[in-house]
Amino acid sequence: MSEVLLHAKEVSIQFGGLKALSRFNLEIRQGDLKGLIGPNGAGKTTAFNVLTGVYAPSSGDIFVCSERVNGKSPHQINRLGLARTFQNIRLFRALTAIDNVRVACHSEYTGLVSPDRLRTLRTKGALANGIANMLEAADNYRDWWRALLLTPGFLREEEEITRRAEQLLSVMSLSHRRDEEARNLPYGEQRRLEIARALATRPRVLLLDEPAAGMNTREKADLMLLIRQLRDQFSLGILVIEHDMKLVMGICEQITVLDHGETIARGSPEQVRTDRKVVEAYLGDSYLEAHGGLQSSSEAAP
Amino acid sequence: MKTAALPVTAGLPQRLRGIFPIAVAIPVLALLQLVVEDMHFFVYLASIVGVNVILAVSLNIVNGMTGQFSIGHAGFMAVGAYISGKFSLQVKDLALSALPVAASDQLMFVLALLVGGTAAAICGFIVGLPSLRLKGDYLAIVTLGFGEIIRVIVQNTEAFGRALGLSGIPQRSTFFMVWFWVFLTVLVARRIAGSSHGRSLWAIREDEVAAEAMGVNTTAYKVRAFVISSFFAGVAGGLFAHFVPIINPGSFTFVKSIEVVVMVVAGGLGSTTGAIIAAVFLTLLPEALRSTFTALSGGQAGIAQKIDQIRMPIYGLLLVLLMLVRPQGLFGTKEIWDVLPRWLPRRRKGIA
Repeated sequence: MSEVLLHAKEVSIQFGGLKALSRFNLEIRQGDLKGLIGPNGAGKTTAFNVLTGVYAPSSGDIFVCSERVNGKSPHQINRLGLARTFQNIRLFRALTAIDNVRVACHSEYTGLVSPDRLRTLRTKGALANGIANMLEAADNYRDWWRALLLTPGFLREEEEITRRAEQLLSVMSLSHRRDEEARNLPYGEQRRLEIARALATRPRVLLLDEPAAGMNTREKADLMLLIRQLRDQFSLGILVIEHDMKLVMGICEQITVLDHGETIARGSPEQVRTDRKVVEAYLGDSYLEAHGGLQSSSEAAP
Repeated sequence: MKTAALPVTAGLPQRLRGIFPIAVAIPVLALLQLVVEDMHFFVYLASIVGVNVILAVSLNIVNGMTGQFSIGHAGFMAVGAYISGKFSLQVKDLALSALPVAASDQLMFVLALLVGGTAAAICGFIVGLPSLRLKGDYLAIVTLGFGEIIRVIVQNTEAFGRALGLSGIPQRSTFFMVWFWVFLTVLVARRIAGSSHGRSLWAIREDEVAAEAMGVNTTAYKVRAFVISSFFAGVAGGLFAHFVPIINPGSFTFVKSIEVVVMVVAGGLGSTTGAIIAAVFLTLLPEALRSTFTALSGGQAGIAQKIDQIRMPIYGLLLVLLMLVRPQGLFGTKEIWDVLPRWLPRRRKGIA
């Protein structure tokens, strides 16, 4: 079995007296396509926010590519290989499509010391950590000078970034929108642009927060195919939050169901759909009636 | 908002692109220097305009590109002015024997500017590191507080001449020097805007949470933008100190900070060319109104003085009018060549 890329162990988070997420467990490996569902306010987006470092967990551990990330900031966690999209689209609205993607394309330029060596240096005590910080800062300032002086290396890098961003736009079939401001794109394309932007950070695990919200049936069908294709093309592990049951049941191999922060069920779409607790909490009795009990569904029914 | 990196110097060999604009600017400015040498009032006015342009363009890096609201720019200017002024006073009598006196003086002047700029940049770092975790109004209050603290410190320090200020700073500033720094500031601002660093700043302005989630170290970027911005504010202060006969705390009050903010907002938050045009316009406007009114009154001093008093209300009225007609500022986030009508010969977009 391939290595676990994203691992949440007994993660809980509490806001004052409210337990927004309790004892949440999750494992994502390369090639996984898992789903996270639950009624409104169940803690799905909170789970995303904890995993990506927006909130620090109150207890439990999170590992990204075997590195413990509790208390790390979102940008550090992102650099380790975890990218996300947002439920309410958060594009850089006034930037063009290509620039949205280019922001997320971090150059492979490693400068004086490679990130790996910095990381090993950091493990060797406080002094070594300080030296590592100084090396990194020196590198950063060198990087600014390269931009100010337009060194040939810098220009090459910019070209490389632009090329990669164009590639990603074309993967998401957005090439025709290259120079349009993100806010002027139609809704479905904004969602796709968000995915392109997330992919630009070279993630190993991608978290999609309601990628199909506001899409019509056809767009949803296309999206299902696209998500699968992305997983294979970029060798990703993917976790999807989605309200559209057809989409979730259609593409996810494993589904975790949250309610009031608790994990109430986990398993294949079949198992989850027939789980008593899930039906009560989320799908509702009418779902069972409408779909003739345990038959496979053909309609979306949140 | 476009940050496309298509340099106007695209036709040049890569190696030369970096320094090409500087190599052009130096002889052009030197030539202008020869022309305007004896026009004292013009040089004085041009120097004030230049200092304001540097202030506006550098503040635009923080307020416009990064979207942080700083209103303490006069504080950084004061640091630069006093430190470089003090430095010049100390080395006033020193001269490098290998060089002619004028050249040696100019070299010392550049050194003083760098010292002043660096001192301001260090202040920017110290203020920025803790306070850039704050947002919006809170950051504005901290930067405002910083500006006032600097002013009060200067006012109560014997070495800085207290409320009387520093006088006797060698008047080494020239038209060339001021406008060379204007040029450098603009060049740096444009090159940042067109680079990956600039894109990160734009991203922070647009959506900090998303920028952070896309791997942008938002705190570090904000601090760096702040440091660069305060460096140039310090240089502007240094230049100022070397062409006005006396610098006192009165020149670096809250009002000065607001003046610079007004220039940036009027030009369009995020537009470098907008900041330049607004700075030039708003600096010259009071002067222009003064001479207009003097001319209207037919040279009679009494009437001229009376009319002179409505100069500032007109200035204010024009600002109100601008904000009513174009709330996003002159150019919004765009540059002048994005806004000019298509039939005008357009400059290619990108970094100079």
